Amino acid sequence: MNLKQLETIKQQSQKKFDSYKASLHVCTGTACVANHSFSLIETLKKELKKRDLEKEILIVPTGCNGFCEQGPIMVVQPDGIFYQKLNEKDIGDIIEQHLINGKPVKRLFYKHPTKKTPIEQMKDIPFFGKQQLLAMRHRGQIDPEQINDYIRMGGYQTAYNVLSKKKAEEVIQTVTKSGIRGRGGGGFPTGLKWNSCRDAVKKTGNIPYVICNADEGDPGCFADRSIIEADPHSVIEGLIIGAYAIGAHEGFVYIRKEYPLALKRLQKAIQQARDQNILGKNILETNFDFDITIHRGAGAFVCGESTALMASLEGKPGEPHAKYVHSTEQGYKNMPTVLNNVETWANVPLILQKGSDWFANIGTGDVTDNAWGGSTGTKVFSLVGDVRNTGLVEVPMGITLREIIYDIGGGIPKDKKFKGVQTGGPSGGVLPESKLDLPVDFDSLSDAGSMMGSGGMVVMDEDTCMVQLAKYFIDFLKEESCGKCTPCREGLTAMSEILAKISEGKGTDEDIALLEEYGETMKVASLCGLGQTAANPVLSTITYFRDEYEAHIKDKTCPAGQCKPLVTYIIDPEKCTGCTLCARNCPTNCITGEAKQVHRINQDECIKCGTCKTVCNFDAVEVN
Amino acid sequence: MTEEQKITVTIDGKEVSVDKDTTILSAANSIDIFIPTLCHSELVEPYSACRLCLVEIDNGRKKRLVTSCNYPIRKPITVKTKSERVKKHRKNILEMMLARWPNVKIIKDMAAFHGIKTPRYTSPLQDPQENACVLCGLCVRACEEDIWESALNFANRGPEREVMMGYGENIPQCEGCETCMSICPTHAIDMDKEDPNNPFDADLMRKAGMKLTREMVLLDDSQCRMRKVGTAHLTEIMDEYDLLPVQNYRFGSHTETKNIASDVFLKNYLTQGKPDGCWQGCTMACAKTADAFTLKTGPYKGDQVVVDGPEYETVGGCANMGIFDPEFVLEFNFYCDTYGLDTISTSTGMSFYMEMFEYGILNKERCGGLDLQFGNSDAALTFMHRMAAGDKDEFIQVASKGIRRVKDWLIKKGWGDKQIIEDCGMESKGLEYSEYVTKESLAQQGGYGMTLKGPQHDEAWLIFMDMVNNQIPTFQDKAEALHYFPMWRTWFGLNGLCKLPWNDVEPENNAETDEPAKVPGHVQNYVDYQNGMTGGNVDKEGLILQSERAYNWQRAMNVWMGRGTRNDDWIPYRSMGPVTKKEYESRKDRYDTQFVEQLGFTKQEVEKMSIEEKIQKLYEYRQNRYQKLMDAVYYRRGWTPNGIPTPQKMKQLGFSDKKMLSMLQKKIDQDQEKGLNSWGGIYGDDEQPPTDKDQYWLEW
Amino acid sequence: MSITVNGKTIEHIKKETISDLLKRMHYTFPLIIVKINGKLIKKKDYNETVILDKSEVKVIHLISGG
Repeated sequence: MNLKQLETIKQQSQKKFDSYKASLHVCTGTACVANHSFSLIETLKKELKKRDLEKEILIVPTGCNGFCEQGPIMVVQPDGIFYQKLNEKDIGDIIEQHLINGKPVKRLFYKHPTKKTPIEQMKDIPFFGKQQLLAMRHRGQIDPEQINDYIRMGGYQTAYNVLSKKKAEEVIQTVTKSGIRGRGGGGFPTGLKWNSCRDAVKKTGNIPYVICNADEGDPGCFADRSIIEADPHSVIEGLIIGAYAIGAHEGFVYIRKEYPLALKRLQKAIQQARDQNILGKNILETNFDFDITIHRGAGAFVCGESTALMASLEGKPGEPHAKYVHSTEQGYKNMPTVLNNVETWANVPLILQKGSDWFANIGTGDVTDNAWGGSTGTKVFSLVGDVRNTGLVEVPMGITLREIIYDIGGGIPKDKKFKGVQTGGPSGGVLPESKLDLPVDFDSLSDAGSMMGSGGMVVMDEDTCMVQLAKYFIDFLKEESCGKCTPCREGLTAMSEILAKISEGKGTDEDIALLEEYGETMKVASLCGLGQTAANPVLSTITYFRDEYEAHIKDKTCPAGQCKPLVTYIIDPEKCTGCTLCARNCPTNCITGEAKQVHRINQDECIKCGTCKTVCNFDAVEVN
Repeated sequence: MTEEQKITVTIDGKEVSVDKDTTILSAANSIDIFIPTLCHSELVEPYSACRLCLVEIDNGRKKRLVTSCNYPIRKPITVKTKSERVKKHRKNILEMMLARWPNVKIIKDMAAFHGIKTPRYTSPLQDPQENACVLCGLCVRACEEDIWESALNFANRGPEREVMMGYGENIPQCEGCETCMSICPTHAIDMDKEDPNNPFDADLMRKAGMKLTREMVLLDDSQCRMRKVGTAHLTEIMDEYDLLPVQNYRFGSHTETKNIASDVFLKNYLTQGKPDGCWQGCTMACAKTADAFTLKTGPYKGDQVVVDGPEYETVGGCANMGIFDPEFVLEFNFYCDTYGLDTISTSTGMSFYMEMFEYGILNKERCGGLDLQFGNSDAALTFMHRMAAGDKDEFIQVASKGIRRVKDWLIKKGWGDKQIIEDCGMESKGLEYSEYVTKESLAQQGGYGMTLKGPQHDEAWLIFMDMVNNQIPTFQDKAEALHYFPMWRTWFGLNGLCKLPWNDVEPENNAETDEPAKVPGHVQNYVDYQNGMTGGNVDKEGLILQSERAYNWQRAMNVWMGRGTRNDDWIPYRSMGPVTKKEYESRKDRYDTQFVEQLGFTKQEVEKMSIEEKIQKLYEYRQNRYQKLMDAVYYRRGWTPNGIPTPQKMKQLGFSDKKMLSMLQKKIDQDQEKGLNSWGGIYGDDEQPPTDKDQYWLEW
Repeated sequence: MSITVNGKTIEHIKKETISDLLKRMHYTFPLIIVKINGKLIKKKDYNETVILDKSEVKVIHLISGG
């Protein structure tokens, strides 16, 4: 396939697309799939067929639209009408009222959170307002299982231009000048990485490799998953360009086993690319050979660490090793290797297409003379937790946490108070309200004691206990640690022990100091990034919520009312109406009381599950 | 020319210059700065798991903590091994270890040394055993890197991490070598049975074995490729250096050798693709097999069989018969094995018969109808099958007893020229020659001729040292080599050991030793082996002495049985020089040049001589050189000019058996009367025999 | 213009490297030691080391035998 043929497919696909009266873009990202969007599509197909509308209305199953809280989502183009929270019963109405009779179904629109008015257009919805799409540039537009759709949007033209017209050194320069830094969390300037790999190749004559890290182990983070589910070709095109830049002919995508849909779409995309001579020998009739092999993970968070990933790729146990000699010099099979995250690769074709200046102008800082001088471009975040609008967002670097959580995220549900936001997964830290106006970029976040990470952003309200949160992440890391080095393996065990003690009211005054001390040892003495950042959840919560720790230790109380050994559920006799709802729902039957009489909780039997409080309509259950 | 620059680093204020990529730990140890470690050992690759060896480095821009065991020095950094930061974190690490393993001695000791008594937390993973496993991974690495079995490894991760064999079972890959036991710092590993060989010092032997295995792992691929192709790698090399026997040792190379080069077998026939050791645990593992090979002839025709081979000798022997078909090589190999025939004797024998056939000394009638021409693989196999079947044909009956009997038979029958027969039949002392062309190496002629058992390269293999490297130019040099190497090489057989680990892989720094041909690093392995096994205290010279005793006793036995004299060390001229015109012509330039350089003729004189004249003159010259070599060798070995071990030498070696000593003396006296106690070489004006003294041994 | 290789005098070729010389002599065996005027030359330098006129070259084959 050459450029001409690529152009032809592009034009023909566009022509075909334009020949439809309307197109229904149904979200088939994993979240909407879990909400039955596949059966929605089946129903749509059936209903359209019934009415002989198949030639006029096109169904486009797309990747994640981003607004996962409101799924299943469907956008009707070319009008841009945004339907949300659909189920099968709605299909008939949409077809009859909207598609046939031209009247969009208002009841299925998104309603403004405060004004409660229905919003017709996607672009008018606040969730989508401050976003800027680079990695997710094809969001909601293309069918990830049709390579022609990607080509229709101009896909693979950049790869062709690079392979046929640009020198490898030029490509590396462009990427360097764009200032893009690793989106997997390390934040290492990508251009510098590619450059050192190329230097190593020139020095040793060894053949290099490119790897895409799609292991995405952070709990709550699904940015990479969504990119692959929505636009796998953007990653493939990025890998082709990267391979060309360093002289590699083999690439790997290491994708975690727990992403079956992403895996399926990636396999299909790679096969379709091969069929069109976009992967394999003499790509697009240039004399560049390159192909990609998919390797599935086996359920280990530590395999997201680059040296452990490469060991796993080589068939060895997923254990990291020292990086005193960088992977760009000795990586996969001891050969020069460039390993980058999914989102980084997805950005690469765009950077080569639009130029380094265009990219560098988005975001913060100045990368003209120093690749570390800023955070350019955008970042994809999975916004989850105690926030109204959970989902996937892509924002320019430099936007504040407040803007993300409130303007895009819609604030805290049930009008609860914001307590903290966790970025960077288990390797990151919790930032409090005082840090809400922090710009989201690599350096600001790490200076504040957290980190960018791969894009997980967990919002927590006042009912979150920071000690419990720290323990949750420490326990996660403890189970995921490979166990090779002492400070990580034993340090996490020690921290888990100490945090458990504290949350049970058995903590001592020295415990906080010990946590801080061990935290520092883990930071400087651990072998790999997992251990080195493992203490962050603890250290950041101690920094910003020290009083909470002290309450657990000195006062033996849990201010957020979460640590079961430290809380007591009591029924307020002045509020209790004796409706017996709590007694009937209590799982241990520990609430006694006659109808219309004040009820009592037997503290010896109470397991602090909180059910009584949840079901009480009179707010009569207090947590002490 | 690139010179490696050394890098100077400062450790705790002391400067030291090191090669690039030296670890900080190595550098520190070299200037006696001690850094604590737990998971480190010189016998395995560094692992950097325990983190005790942390040091603080400063590269001028920033400081950080790194593990000294595997940090490669590439820039002139400043290192602090005991800074406050290092001490603080080292203490915390030890505290964590103590919390988990409170009763393990090395941890207790290190913790106490750093002032840690009670850990500040209780670990739910606490293991109170004194011999708890501390997850250092030394056993895992030793089994993988030095034994090459990977019988045990880590299982599970994080707090569940533990060491075990596959699925927690005792797997057959475990050889019971106890290496893991010996390298474990806490005695966490036990064997349930005692070593039945009851070695005196197993560790001494073990270390030698581990070192050797490590060399195989790291160097075999770039050295002799024993694990990939075994000894068959020699075929193409011998051909390259004109030493591959072709057509009964007439020539040294052939255009078709590429058809039986090692890669042909590796690619097309050696189906297992795995090294196949003679015994479990051998890491040289050079034996090869060809699976599912279909036989074309003989009683098992049509069967698919496993062929164990081919070794170089077998391949060389086929080239000797002028056959360059890899499938013949395998069939020949199989049937020799099946019939209990040695491939060397069989192929060298047949090569001789084929040459005799070419000269008409043998023909179809005389050979029981066999068309024994060079290259006739069918005839070769038929001959073997008929021989094995007990065929009563006269030739086949005689040939089944080897070249010596065939020579006698041909001479008795009056078929052919006696001289040609004696010179072409490649046997000495009744044993067929093994597959190397010795024509241009006087040292190897001695290596084959001056042996106890006959021309088998077990005793000496000096061709390259002599011919190519030119390291033993004088007779004295050759005699010295013909002392050391046979003594050393027969030591293996005396101890029941394979010699391949001596020089079929070499230590990386062998080139820099004084006598790389002796591979001194590996000779030491055998010293350690013997001392470790027996509890003795022998050194390298001691091993040679052991051999010398056995060797001289055997020679004395030969004498007692009426052999073991100069005459018995005779070799056929084919092994010394060109017998026929064809051979002379194939190396004309080389031989003509020798006339000028060594025999002292001018170019014009050489051009005037006929080929027959040149062959004759060369014959005389080379026979004389062989005699002079024998003079030098016998003298060096402490024997008389007739090759009899002297009683003086025997006493020096520690023998006092009166019967044997008087037997030797009697023989020497008899030789004296017959005038046999004088040198056999004819010496020119500027040449010397080993000594002018008559009966020189009387002074010893 | 000549050099000696293992004691034998042969023609010196200008700018000939050790790798070139090994090719010229058909010395293909991998286990060799090369010394020029007594100094050991490491294998990785064979491609770049040029042999000067009147050099005494030793190419020692460490061959094991069957």
